[in-house]
This record gives sequence, structure tokens and C-alpha cells, in this order.
Amino acid sequence: MKIVYSWLCEYLENPPAAEELIAKLDRIGLKVEATEKTGPDFTGVIAAKIMAIDSHPNADKLHIVTVERGDGTQKLVCGAQNIATGQVVPLATLGAKLPGGVLKKAKIRGVESEGMLCSCSELGVPGDPSGILMLPSETPLGTDVRTLYPKGELVMEVEILPNQGHVLSHYALARELSIFYGYKLRNAAVIDTGSVGNCTAEVNINAEDLCSRYTAISMKGCLNAKTPEWMAERLSAIGVNPKGNILVDGSNYVMFELGQPLHCFDAACLKGGKINVRRAATGEKFTALDKKEYTLNDENLVIADSDNPVAVAGVMGGLGSAVSEKTDNIVIEAACFDAASVRRTSKKLNLKSDSSYRFERGTDPEMTIRAALRFAKLIKDAQPAASITGVTDKYVNPYRAQPVKVTTAALNRILGTKVSDDTVYNCLKAFQPDLPQGNGEWLFMPPSFRPDLTADCDIAEELARFIGYDSIPSESRMPMIKSEIAPEYAIAAQLRYAFAVLGFNEIYNHGFLSAKEAEVCGVKPEDCLQVINPLSSDLQYLRPSLVAGALRVLAFNMNHAREHAHIFEIGTVYHRDGSEEMRCGGLVFGQPYESNWAGRAEGATFFALKGALQSFLDRKPGFRYEKPKQAPAYYENCVCLEMKMGRESLGYMGQLSAAACRAMEVKESNVYYFELSIPVLASAFKKEFWQEVHKMKPVTAFPNSWRDLSFLIDITYEWSQIEKAFNGIKNLSSVRLIDVFRGKNVPAGQRSLTVRFVFSSMEKTLTDAEVNAGMKEVMDKLSKKFNAKLRE
Amino acid sequence: MTPEEWKGKLSAIKDSFSSLISEHKADYETLYQRFLGRKGELSLLLRDLKDIAAEERRNLGVLGNAAKQELTAAAEKIKSAIDAHNQRCSSAPAIDITLPGVNFPKGSLHPLTQTMDRISGAFLRLGFSLASGPLVEDDWHCFEALNFPECHPARDMQDTFYVNAKDDRGKDKLLRTQTSTVQIRVMEKQNPPLRVFHPGRVFRNEAVDASHAFAFHQVEGLYVDKNVTMADLKWTVDAFMKDLFGSSVRTRFNPSYFPFVEPGAEVDMSCIFCKGQSEHCPVCKGTGWLELLGSGMVHPNVLKACGHDPEVWSGFAFGCGIERFAMLLYGINDMRMFFENDFRILEQVR
Repeated sequence: MKIVYSWLCEYLENPPAAEELIAKLDRIGLKVEATEKTGPDFTGVIAAKIMAIDSHPNADKLHIVTVERGDGTQKLVCGAQNIATGQVVPLATLGAKLPGGVLKKAKIRGVESEGMLCSCSELGVPGDPSGILMLPSETPLGTDVRTLYPKGELVMEVEILPNQGHVLSHYALARELSIFYGYKLRNAAVIDTGSVGNCTAEVNINAEDLCSRYTAISMKGCLNAKTPEWMAERLSAIGVNPKGNILVDGSNYVMFELGQPLHCFDAACLKGGKINVRRAATGEKFTALDKKEYTLNDENLVIADSDNPVAVAGVMGGLGSAVSEKTDNIVIEAACFDAASVRRTSKKLNLKSDSSYRFERGTDPEMTIRAALRFAKLIKDAQPAASITGVTDKYVNPYRAQPVKVTTAALNRILGTKVSDDTVYNCLKAFQPDLPQGNGEWLFMPPSFRPDLTADCDIAEELARFIGYDSIPSESRMPMIKSEIAPEYAIAAQLRYAFAVLGFNEIYNHGFLSAKEAEVCGVKPEDCLQVINPLSSDLQYLRPSLVAGALRVLAFNMNHAREHAHIFEIGTVYHRDGSEEMRCGGLVFGQPYESNWAGRAEGATFFALKGALQSFLDRKPGFRYEKPKQAPAYYENCVCLEMKMGRESLGYMGQLSAAACRAMEVKESNVYYFELSIPVLASAFKKEFWQEVHKMKPVTAFPNSWRDLSFLIDITYEWSQIEKAFNGIKNLSSVRLIDVFRGKNVPAGQRSLTVRFVFSSMEKTLTDAEVNAGMKEVMDKLSKKFNAKLRE
Repeated sequence: MTPEEWKGKLSAIKDSFSSLISEHKADYETLYQRFLGRKGELSLLLRDLKDIAAEERRNLGVLGNAAKQELTAAAEKIKSAIDAHNQRCSSAPAIDITLPGVNFPKGSLHPLTQTMDRISGAFLRLGFSLASGPLVEDDWHCFEALNFPECHPARDMQDTFYVNAKDDRGKDKLLRTQTSTVQIRVMEKQNPPLRVFHPGRVFRNEAVDASHAFAFHQVEGLYVDKNVTMADLKWTVDAFMKDLFGSSVRTRFNPSYFPFVEPGAEVDMSCIFCKGQSEHCPVCKGTGWLELLGSGMVHPNVLKACGHDPEVWSGFAFGCGIERFAMLLYGINDMRMFFENDFRILEQVR
């Protein structure tokens, strides 16, 4: 909200200087976000008379000008062509502050110049920009030229929070300063109506729940009522374009002055001479001042004449009843409409105005008549022929203060202060001047402009503003307690650190997808949760999987000359029913490390990813890989495993399908991806860290023995089957696959496996015979179960 | 040259020799040439003896020769150490130990994670527990229970995304616009006293630019107990900021408005970049203060909405945007960078 400093000061006796005022507003939570000064911005420019013009010795187009400044003469260099002796012109003296900078002594083509004659544009004032500005010849020499222009106004931009309906005018801000700092408040002058009858238009309120008060004043003789210049300047300063007609400008002026929205009808256009405040009929049409037609319904409050709506209450007037330059008789409306109703209507019609802004935030019902009379005075001042013909003030729902029981103790309990009874009393009295002295206990009656003060906490905030937030101590007796982390977040943190250590970069995606990206996630767009009001169709679907985002990041970085990626994300995925789940997803692609002089590291493979996941997950109870019954569509057929923990599915890992990669503009297809469910992982989470610590298993004190064995076996047998066959062999402590080979000397349909069998015992060093017995058992199982043959 | 001058020169030579040795500044060759060779400083000084009176010459000669032996022995010791190293390595295969180390995997945590971790740490140390809550919310948890009345302009503060799923009351569900929803989630489930915080993602239906995003992150702390006062809030926020930015940081409270607190306050922190010393500080714009947090005393309506008696319980809440912190800390000036995931950027924040 823009506030003109001098305008605000009109309502205060002995107002503070601007800087002090800004600091004082800030302290009570009315932040001045910016200030600007209107009008020309220069100093050090005086009126001077041109006495002589000589040519410059070194330049054809420059002159050496002698000027009389009132206190003596001086010479300067000037290049303008419109100067002549006898003219009175603006002279910028050394040190003058001009919009373009500070004037310093200069040598121009070898001649010292100790001043400058100014053009309009150099001073930043309106006028012909070519040539030196000519001042009226009667201007006394030495006059400060700035004083010839309107005084600059300091305009402050005050930040308004949604609960601050009570500060939306110059007067209201002054009132805040008066309450919190004790300045004496001045009222704006109003007209004395004398004894007149009712308003010429008959006022009926048919919706008392939505309109608590309707004040109407009729005036005649308003033709040619022009907006005075001072008013036009103030309106311009706060960014309102003055129309020149006071019937329009004055109603705006009073709104910004007192906070009460006003409307002005052309009395000749009110059919039947009636003002009916009623709900609109459903389907009723209305053409507003913005020349658009709106269709109304019975939620919308309207002001109607005997036939049709002439205004949407509190939002906008109608085109048909608007004042024009031909208007002579008027009806001024100053009403109090229900805040929620105005807001609903303004939202519904998508129609906002400075009026609706104020009504939505709540207006002061006690202000209507004063504002209307103020407006009438401004009209009368501008057009003495105008006079009031009648006043109607229907106050159907008068303001009744809801008493609040306030005690010093309760306020101190909220604020943690030791504020005295006197201070509390002074604060309350600033709001309610007639409050009787109480002994630390009062029945406070909130004023009509603060109906929001309904409870202890509201009063506590006002008291805090009154004493200053800085006076609240900073101290606590909060006991120390143990803090805990929600299981899903604890697991997420574990995953983050695990993957970072494994060389993965963490990524963040916003999670909004296009239809195509939703398809990449293996879900039909219509089966995704959708944003009803998306920013764009590319951001319409909420991700059902993290895979599209991961591929998008891969594509982005490949376009930036990256040849490999190890990335993961912890994020939320969404289901069609509005439920959601935290997941961890990630992919590997390309060489994990840059190739270096020591040789190339192995590229990202299915097994590299499988091992990386295993290194974290094998500590989880019951973790295992299984062949999936059905895998998400974005995996390559048969190159995908399900990760399980007990009976629960943790997620899947595998190679991404070529189609999924292509859809996300990743041209390579050897991309390996995983996604796992954090809630499932968290189901095994133990609240206390020591419950999760693995108990140590004893290790043997005796050396172990190992044998490597290479054998040929049909490829139809999978390693997981083969490995299981060795279960239960005595003293066999580990089985490790160390080579897989197909090709030369291996028959078609078979492969050669080399396995290291390690034997150990807790009790003793095993003898050769014992180890050999174990190996015999191994070979028996291999040949019986799998028909495997030893490789020579 | 007097004998005294000669002695002075000798001790100067000995000093410079020993300081070179103790600072490992010279090898054997250099030392030998400078001090002991035919034109070395010590050799020249010994030759100067011939100009000194005979009765003194003898004594000085003894001193000079003793010094020569001492220096020679020290230089030889260096020579033998180098010889030993060369001998040891000549028997092993040559390796250029100055070749670069082999790359190890270099993972990284996103700057927002690092920022959130740091903030979470500060909360945890103050006894706040990390609570969880959903991103897809309903009107009740996001607005109604937080004292945003249906037709109140406060609702304009947050443009909301709605989704095509209905809540219990048949209203469209929405993407939460603030982490304050978790206040309600926690207070509905748990009885006070409670001390929780929640960092997480929020959404606003807003056009994107360098300082606005439609998805971003916030963190919010809540403390509800008997006799919680605004003084507790001030102390806690101050301790929180000091934990994050050091004990010299100061905080300042000003009146503000958030529907779910009353009294409400915004909190400024003294500028950590210029310490209030620079009129031209690009971060605080010369004000000396950075606006960082919103806070206040939990509104009685919020406690009531969760079934707690505001006559018995009171509390405070405070929160802030994560991106703003991260941008300050990492010197990032465009919010869009957080969702870009450019590896060249991510790898810098290991």
C-alpha cells in the first residue's frame, strides 16, 4: 500500500520526521518496504541572468557565458544555442545534485567552467528538452529553482499482511501511530448537513446478514465539479490515475484517506428512485464499469434500482449508473458489507478492486457516515453550487463490542514478561479511551475497527507491539529431552550416506510429469494422480515412479558431454487414490570413474548395481533377490530382479528397456536402474540404535583351508540353484564364485564355473583328509544333481 | 682485520651454515661449494689468517680448523643420507611416485540435503524430534485447522495445486503449501508435551523465476507444553540460529502475521557476511539484517482444532524456507538450479 508521508501527517499533531516515522511503523509490524520521492529531484540550482555571451577561444559551438547570480557574477562554458543576454535561466552551482550526478568543476576545451546552465531533462522536470530552460523573467536572481516546482512527496510502500484490514488508509495508519506512540490524532474535516430529509433515493436492505449498514447521501448541483490539483497530485503519488472529475476522484481519495470504500451513483440513472440491497437472482446479468458482462447468482449481493443491479456490492459499480461529466444529481453510497460475502463474489466473478480488497479484510461500520460526509465536503469545496438534499443511514446491525476479559497475569504468561498493570492499562486505554482503571483485570471492549481482538493472545500481540518485541526477554526453562527421528527419515538418511559413499550423486526432481513421462513410469496417464490446475500440461501428472526423473537428469547431463552417471534420488511417488510413498531410486550408466593412466575401471553393469545395492541391503533382516513374477514395464524383459525383505517386496532392479530410454531421449540402452520402498525398509527399523546393532559372531582361531574347483555344467542350471546345493556340507564355511567362462574348450550349452570352497572349524586345524572328504561331497552333489564334470 | 673481527666472521659463517641445515634448505653440493670448497667462505677466511699478527694467528688457526672439521662432518652426514636413499631405490623397480592417485568413487549429497541435514542437526540438539507428514493433504490439515478461515484473505498468501482425489469431506485434495500441516498431523496423534520439527517439500501454484519455484522446501519446529511463553520462543530461535551460524550471531523479532500463530513474529538474523559492517553488502543490502524465519505462539484455535485445551497447553512454532538458507550458504542466486541436477554443480558440493 502506498502512503504519502505529508498526507499521513495531516492526521497527527506534531508528526515525527519521516525517518523516525518509518522506524516507528517498522517496530509495530508495519514494514516500509521502499520509499520514493515524487517530483523533480535536484538541489543547488539557482536562478541567474545571462549578462554576456562570448565565443569560446577553442571551440566554434561553445560559448563563454557571464551570469549574474544575485550575489555576484561568474563565467561558465555553455553549448546551448537558445540562449541570449537578459534571459533568466537555471544555474547549477558547483556541488549541485542533479538527476545525472553531482556537478564538479570542469575544464571544457581549455576553459574552466564553474557551473552549468540546465535544460529540462538535466533537471528532470517536464518541458521541452532541447536547449536551456527559460525561467520567468521576473524570478528573483538567486532563487532556489527547486522551490518553483511542487514540493516532492515522500511516498512509502507499506507491506500489508492479510489480517491488517484496520490499517488500509492514511488515517488508519495515523491511528496506529497514535495508539502505539501516543500522538494526538486529528480528524478529516466533514460537511455539516444542516437539517435535511431523507436521501432522495429510497434505501431498502433486503439482506441484513450481508449488509450491516448502508449510508446514502443525495446531492444536487454537482455539475462541473473538478478535481483540485492537490488531490490529483496525491492520487498520482499513490499510483491512482486522476480522472479530473471529483465525483470519481473524490470517492477514491476518501477511500485512501479513511479506508471506507465509497460509490457514487448518477441519481438520474436510478430507476424508480430506489436503492435495493438484495441478493442477485440466479442468472441475472450485470455490466460493470469495466464494460464486461457478468452473470450473477444468489450468493452475490447487489445494489439494485427498481429494475436491475446497478452495482455488485463492495466490488464494482455498474456502467449504466456511473457518473459522467453530465452528472448533476448524485447519490453517495457508504456501506458496510460482509467480508466473506464480498470475497466470495470477487473470487467467483474474478473481479477485484480497491473496494473489494478493503471489504474482504473488514471495514469499520462506524466509518460509513463520516466518510460520506467527508466526500460531500470535498465535492462542495470543489463546486460551491453543490448541496446535500438528503441523508439516509440504515444501520440494521449495529456494532456491539464483544468484551474480552484481560488480566496482566494472562498476558505475561503468554509473553514471558513481567509487564506492570499500568503498562497493560495504558495499552488497552489506547484502544478504548473510556476503559475504567482496573486492578490487573479489565473487561476490554474492542473498538469497531478491531473486531479481530477476541482473545488473550490477540491482546498479547498488541501489548507486545506496545512495549516492543525487543523488550520480551530471551530465556527458557525448556527441559532437555531425547530427540527421535521418524523411521522413514532415518532410513532415508542411511540410504543417502550409503549411496554417496558408493559414488552416487544425489539428485532432486520436482516430481511433476508430462503424459509421456508418466507412460515411461509404466503407468497410464489416467491412472496417475493429476493436478487439476497445473502450471502447464507438461506438469500435469504426479510421478508414480522416480524413473522418468532419473532418465531426464541422465539425458540432460549426456547433453552436457557426460559419459557416465551414478545418481539416486529420495522422493515421494503418488498413487491415483491420493496416497503416497517415499522411495529411493537411482541409475548407473557408463564408466563409473574416468579412465586413468592405471587402466580402465569396469563399466556400470547389472552386476555392479546388484552388488552396490547388496552392500547396503544385506544387513537388513531377510533381504534377498528374487526373480519377479511381474516387473514394472520400464525394465528390460528378464534382466530384472525383485528385492525382497521377508514377505514384503522392497522394489526392483535391472536394465531399463530401450523404449523407456528412447522416450526420455537417452540414446544408450545399457542403463541400470533400481527403485525401492522406504516404508518397507522402515518397517524393520528399530527405534533405539542398540536394538539394531548386530551381535558379533565369534571367529575361528584356527587357519582355514580352501580348494578351487572348475567344472562344466549345463547353462540351464542357475547359480542360485547350484549354490544352494552345497548347504550342509560339514566344515564348509564359504562358497565363492571366482570365474564364469563360455567359449573355447567348453561344449555348446554348457559353461565353466570356477568356485573357491573354504573349510574351517571352530575347534581345530582341519586335516587334509577332512577337507578332501568335504570336497568329495561337493563333487558328488555336482555330478548327481547337475551332471557336472570336472574340467581338466 | 683485527682478531676480534675475524672471530666475528667465523661465528657468522657457522650460524648461516647451521641455519641452512636445520631448515633443510641446501643439499651437499651447495653447502660444500659455499663454505668448504677452494673459494668457500670458510676457506677464504682461513686464508685471511696470514694478515693477522703472528701471536694471535696460532690461536685463531686452531679455532678455524676445528670449525672446518665440524662443518665438513655435518655436510658429509647429509651426503650419506641421500646416498642411502638412492641406493635403496636403485635395487627396487623405479616408480614415479608423483603420478596422480587413481580416482575413487566420488558421490555427493544434494545441496538441499546438506542444508536440511545441518538444520535438522540444530533441531535435534535442541530436543526436537523429526516428525513425518504427507505431501498430498486435505483442506483441513493445510488450512482449516491452521486457522485459515474459508473466506479469509490469508488464503491468498498461498496459491494451491489441487489434485483429482477427494478427502473425507468430499473436497479436492491438494499439495500442501506449507510444512505447518505437520503441526496438525502430530497434534492429532500425540498429546502434549511435544517437541517436533519437520523438513520437507511444499508446493505453490506460482510462475517460476530465479526466486520462485512451484516446488520447494521448508522446515518447521513446534513446541507445546505447559507454560510455554514467547520468551521461550525467543531463546529457542536464538539458540537455533547460533547453532547454525555461530555464537556471535544475533536475532531480532518484529511483529508479523501467520494465521496459525498469535502473537506472530518474523525473525531477522544479523548479517553473517558483512557483520553489519558494510553499506554495500550485497546480501543484507547494507541493513545488517537478514530476514530468515517466521514464528509465533501457537494460536488457541489450532490447539482446539487438534483437541487440546488452550487453557492448559501453550506452545510456539517457527519455520523457514530451506532454499533461502542454501542460496545464502552456497552463493546460489537462481532457485531453478536446485532441480537442474547438473553434475558439474552437484560434484562441487561433496
